Amino acid sequence: MTLNKFQAVIHETDSAIIVQVGGELDLAAAPELRSLLETVVNRTDKTLVLDTERLAYIDSTGIGIVVSVIKARDEKKAEFIVKNIPRSIKRLFDITGISGYINEGTVS
Amino acid sequence: MQIPADAQYLDIVRLGLYGIASKMGFSYEDIEDMKVAVGEACNNAVLHYMPDQAVERESADAVQAAQDELQITVEFEVLPDSLTIKITNSGAGFEADAYMEKAGPLEGEDASGLEVGGLGLYLMQALMDEVNIHSAESTQVVMTKRLLPLQ
Repeated sequence: MTLNKFQAVIHETDSAIIVQVGGELDLAAAPELRSLLETVVNRTDKTLVLDTERLAYIDSTGIGIVVSVIKARDEKKAEFIVKNIPRSIKRLFDITGISGYINEGTVS
Repeated sequence: MQIPADAQYLDIVRLGLYGIASKMGFSYEDIEDMKVAVGEACNNAVLHYMPDQAVERESADAVQAAQDELQITVEFEVLPDSLTIKITNSGAGFEADAYMEKAGPLEGEDASGLEVGGLGLYLMQALMDEVNIHSAESTQVVMTKRLLPLQ
């Protein structure tokens, strides 16, 4: 294991805004993701996708961010999908009870 | 190990924990569990710093200066069949009992009712075999993970 710095990038397609995250999402990285998501969370014209395939770590800070996006999108009746959830991250989503509120989309 | 109470140093704690736990022979999954549990305890040490009233009365600068000096100590107690991690912050304690009571998973009729408070402590309890919080002059979280022998 080496230091695995948090990274986040946004791609946009015709139908979706895709936020790809990688590395370790901890208390230090949370502000970066929070401000990035703020720029797209109100976009109701497209589906918002959080791609967690390369996410190596998440704690309650990161889970809190995901919950706040779920709430914001739910309020606007806009779709929000969390896809490619790694097994270790899924386990934490299950334990905390957030899994029941996550839309994983259709597996492609 | 001792680090400044600053989120920028938390990855160093996880790295140290990884080194010790893998040397002891913990499974990948157990190490991931411990990384999150220890991370949550350190998050609390960074976030729940409460300056004492004398410092608070002085000025906002004095509060900031006191916070800048704040340290988090992480001790690893290695036993043949368990790893105990003690996370201590040098600042004033917080109300551990009230905090303990709040711990729980997410609950809500629908997404709009979700509240994330108390999730950190709940994760510590769910991911470790034992968690105790002592709060007085400073706050100390003591958590243990048992190392199961190979079948």
